[in-house]
Amino acid sequence: MLRRYEMYSLDPNASPAAVQRLTQSFLECGRFVPEVLDSAVGTNLSDAPVRLVWEHAYESPAAYQRYMVHPFHACILDRPLLADSPERIVTSNDLGAGLLGYECASPVYRLAAGVRRLVLVDLSPDRSPAAAARFDEAVARASDGVKGLVVSIVAENSMAAAWFDGVTPIAPPPRWSHVWEQGWESLAAFEGYRAEGREQWPGFVRESASVHYELVTPG
Amino acid sequence: MTAYLVDTVQVRPADVASYVELVEGDGVAVMTGAGAAFMSCWTTSAELGEDVDVQVTWSFGDHTEWNEIRKNLVLDRRWHDFARRAAGLRTGGTRRFYYPVH
Repeated sequence: MLRRYEMYSLDPNASPAAVQRLTQSFLECGRFVPEVLDSAVGTNLSDAPVRLVWEHAYESPAAYQRYMVHPFHACILDRPLLADSPERIVTSNDLGAGLLGYECASPVYRLAAGVRRLVLVDLSPDRSPAAAARFDEAVARASDGVKGLVVSIVAENSMAAAWFDGVTPIAPPPRWSHVWEQGWESLAAFEGYRAEGREQWPGFVRESASVHYELVTPG
Repeated sequence: MTAYLVDTVQVRPADVASYVELVEGDGVAVMTGAGAAFMSCWTTSAELGEDVDVQVTWSFGDHTEWNEIRKNLVLDRRWHDFARRAAGLRTGGTRRFYYPVH
């Protein structure tokens, strides 16, 4: 499977109606493009410079490629997004997380309700599997025995550079080499964890950022 | 099949010449370089006491072909610069895709 995220900062002059249309188009996408699975959105609550997050997934690269050429993608989703569209309501930002994601064997990311959090890290200059394993260990230490953490996945951010077909990198390596996707039972559970200050990244984590939001699902 | 991308934007009368020049210059270069064909650029009258509509139409084969064009655009720095300058000249607008009835 391909797990995929899009994160947007919004034009402060965008009308609430236009923002709502974009939000609804993300939520309803699966009705029109059945290849789009597990759509949910959220409004970022962290201080990272993005506001609207769309999380979703695809069964396979072939499913993703069908989504890419579906008219709903170009006609509805891209209308407020593409840089040259007269109806654009999103803006550029320096988070470097406009599109990211990873491969997984099954929908281990699923969270029916609660709070989603993404920790974005850059393991450069050493993005090797060994460095990723050391990051895994740091995540295990940070999350061991934590109550309310019901989803915890560490993965290479493979989608950012392979956004065209889900497989082939066509862009330079992204700012964030890896992602730690979390699912929390509640905002209170996450805030309790955050207050403990357990995330002490070793020196090989060159930089990190995080985004979290309460999950909004279709219907 | 041929598909058409139709951008209809509103521009202040004083900015119409600049907008059209931008489209017919860098816009055509970037879009045709990416694989789209330039079809037309029409305007409403600038003598009506309101913003002028500028309607630009591009064509391509289908959504598979558009997906390739879209990729080429996103990877082209000139497109981002064109988009930024165009946004600075318009006051509003719409984007729609059209297809022949027959």
